[in-house]
Amino acid sequence: METLITYARGVWESTQERLFFLPPFPDQIDTLALFGLLLVVGLLAGEWLRARFGVPKIVGYVLAGTLFGPSLLSWISVEALTQARPIADASLGLLLMEAGRRLDLRWLLGNPSLLRATAADVLLSFVAIFFFAWALVGLSPGWAAATAAVTMASAPAVVLLTVEESSAQGQVTERVILHTAIATAVSFVLFALVLGFVHAELSADWINAVAHPLWVAAGAALIAWGTARLTLVVAARLPKRSLAQVFVLVAMALLAVGVARMLAVPVFLTLFVMGALLAFDDRRQTLAYTQLPEAHWLLAIILFVIVGASLPWQEFTWLTALQALGLLLVRAAAKSAAAFIGGRDLPRTKRLWVGLGIQPLSATAVFMAYEIAALYPEVGRSALLLPLLAAAIMEIAGPVLCRLALVRAGETAGDGEKKGGIA
Amino acid sequence: MSEGIGEFRESQPLTLGVELELQLLSRRDYDLTRGATDLMQALEYDERFGEIKLEVTESMIEVSTLPQVTVAGIAADLAGLRDTLVTHCRRNNIGLCGGGTHAFHRWPERRICPGERFDAIYQRYGYLAKQFTVFGQHIHVGVTSADEAIWLTQALGEYVPAFIALSAASPFVDGVDTLFQSARLNAVSAFPLSGQCPPLADWHDFLDHFRLLQDCGIAKSIKDLYWDVRPKPEFGTVEIRVCDTPLSVGRATALAALAQSLCRYLLRERPGFDAEGLRHVARYNKFQACRYGRDAQLSEPGLRRQRPLRERIDELMILLDDDAVALGCSDWLHQLADDSLPGDAEWLRETWERVGNINDVVCAASARWMGKGDES
Repeated sequence: METLITYARGVWESTQERLFFLPPFPDQIDTLALFGLLLVVGLLAGEWLRARFGVPKIVGYVLAGTLFGPSLLSWISVEALTQARPIADASLGLLLMEAGRRLDLRWLLGNPSLLRATAADVLLSFVAIFFFAWALVGLSPGWAAATAAVTMASAPAVVLLTVEESSAQGQVTERVILHTAIATAVSFVLFALVLGFVHAELSADWINAVAHPLWVAAGAALIAWGTARLTLVVAARLPKRSLAQVFVLVAMALLAVGVARMLAVPVFLTLFVMGALLAFDDRRQTLAYTQLPEAHWLLAIILFVIVGASLPWQEFTWLTALQALGLLLVRAAAKSAAAFIGGRDLPRTKRLWVGLGIQPLSATAVFMAYEIAALYPEVGRSALLLPLLAAAIMEIAGPVLCRLALVRAGETAGDGEKKGGIA
Repeated sequence: MSEGIGEFRESQPLTLGVELELQLLSRRDYDLTRGATDLMQALEYDERFGEIKLEVTESMIEVSTLPQVTVAGIAADLAGLRDTLVTHCRRNNIGLCGGGTHAFHRWPERRICPGERFDAIYQRYGYLAKQFTVFGQHIHVGVTSADEAIWLTQALGEYVPAFIALSAASPFVDGVDTLFQSARLNAVSAFPLSGQCPPLADWHDFLDHFRLLQDCGIAKSIKDLYWDVRPKPEFGTVEIRVCDTPLSVGRATALAALAQSLCRYLLRERPGFDAEGLRHVARYNKFQACRYGRDAQLSEPGLRRQRPLRERIDELMILLDDDAVALGCSDWLHQLADDSLPGDAEWLRETWERVGNINDVVCAASARWMGKGDES
């Protein structure tokens, strides 16, 4: 690739002497061109795998990213990944906002069995992963807590897209979504606390250990509150379920993403809180019936191609892979046990499918891990290799497991009835 | 006895039974949702108020009361069934709603319930089975003999428009105001054996007619007859099938009171009726009642004229007063007769005018069915 570029540059520069209107040789691919390429590559891979093997399209997007990313072919460079980050942030932000809107506390409080199941899910998952990472892998308590905070929740983006792609409806679907939303909320709280622990462990200056979690939590809450209020005020002046309301919702989400990026507040946390506030604050159901446009699949493809390209396969070792598998097994046991023992108002087999459906671990975990690792890059990256590899494995397995659970529960649509997804 | 029709089981005269088909809603957007088998699988209920059953698609659930001698018994059973389902639906985050149609659902998204019977219906009727996601109230009235059942089935034919108008609760389809008071029956009329029962003299005549349908491959069992009013041999009843499911248990009970009072009057007085003449105008009169409700103009073939349905309902209510008093259900009948109160179709249109959004209309209708304590 390098040789090819060097040759092309030589030809270009020699031609430039005569054709003076030519611009300098483009060192970097234009962002829009990159967007288009990622989209086409991800789309084709997703559609092919779906048609050939019946796996969820997300798997194809991730595999395309992995194949063309820095770990393998390097057609998507590290610089290109940085360049595409705003698009990934926007996409993850929109999906996390949707996950926040699904945080249905009214249902949770009206169903003690469901409350038990979700509480057990977050408690068992965190404790089991923490002990595994601390006692068996040998991470320090701070990094073990960071690992647990990052990997305890199911992946909201994967769950929502898989449900949408399969047009799934029913108790297993609804409970998988609620488990995911609750665990995501708790993992974000723990994430903020863990930032403090990591600072306390690695920095002599205690002020960061206190100020950083506060900055993250208060920053996300304030941005989310402001944008959610503004969204509701503007949307209330428009007809319910109108296209104009959809545009307002998307525009305000992008505003929140932008402000969060400006202030170095995690985008996923901000948008999740914004979604939750939109649901809680919307007493007149101004936006309750307004859904994301189908076009959000465009952004989702880019997101998962980028996530696939960001996975640290080049740092793969058999030991870390075994540790990651161990973490996933412990996590799977904790989540399945919570769903099975907790949700007793559901028939046994359906509880098993809920346990399987909440296994995905994905983009949010990867972004959280990189956020924490970026604090102290010299140690963070290696310390968080375990959750990153676990997420890498589950990028492939998670969507398949989630879809399997929804299909076996009998909640997906027949072929003639599907409306979710892009094809 | 014809194969496909069991022995007519005589029952206590004028005993009542009510079946209601109800809507299962997502509480996020108030569209229909897939929830019936989930609800049934986790249902802990001892059938003290009657049965809760699956219907053809996953977005419907059917409740049926126990046989009751009085309308008060029906009211208690319906309230008990509603409360049981509401508790269970809340636990599963599902909304419950009355009304003859869902105001904006898309029929291609409906899913057929698992089970041989439902699969057979889908294989036989294709997309009509999914479009049959409409919601009706069926009222059973006990009779003492098979011949009496056939006579009553014929005699009730004249009153079908009144039942349609008084129960009408389906003005919206596909998110659009249809201008009908009851659009539900348009979905039913697509089925080949829907409509009025042909003129029949007695039970023997009915069996001959049914054998003809069987021999011609048109019907296999009495369940294939989607008549407006039909005999139900296994229950020993006559079943009135033209009502929309109302928006409240109160109105469903009042319709049962009308059915019981009317059957008592008919069986007591045995008035004559012109079955042959009625045959020519029944479809038109039914259309009028569906389209205009109480404002319908009914054709009277004997007198060769039209007459407002409103007048006939007013007369009927006066006519039935003594029977209602004797049966202890006059309060319910008076509720139904009160023309100053909006019917369910009017209530849905007024709500639409007030809230301006079709999802909010279903949300309000669901709150009305589920009763107080539901904030949504």
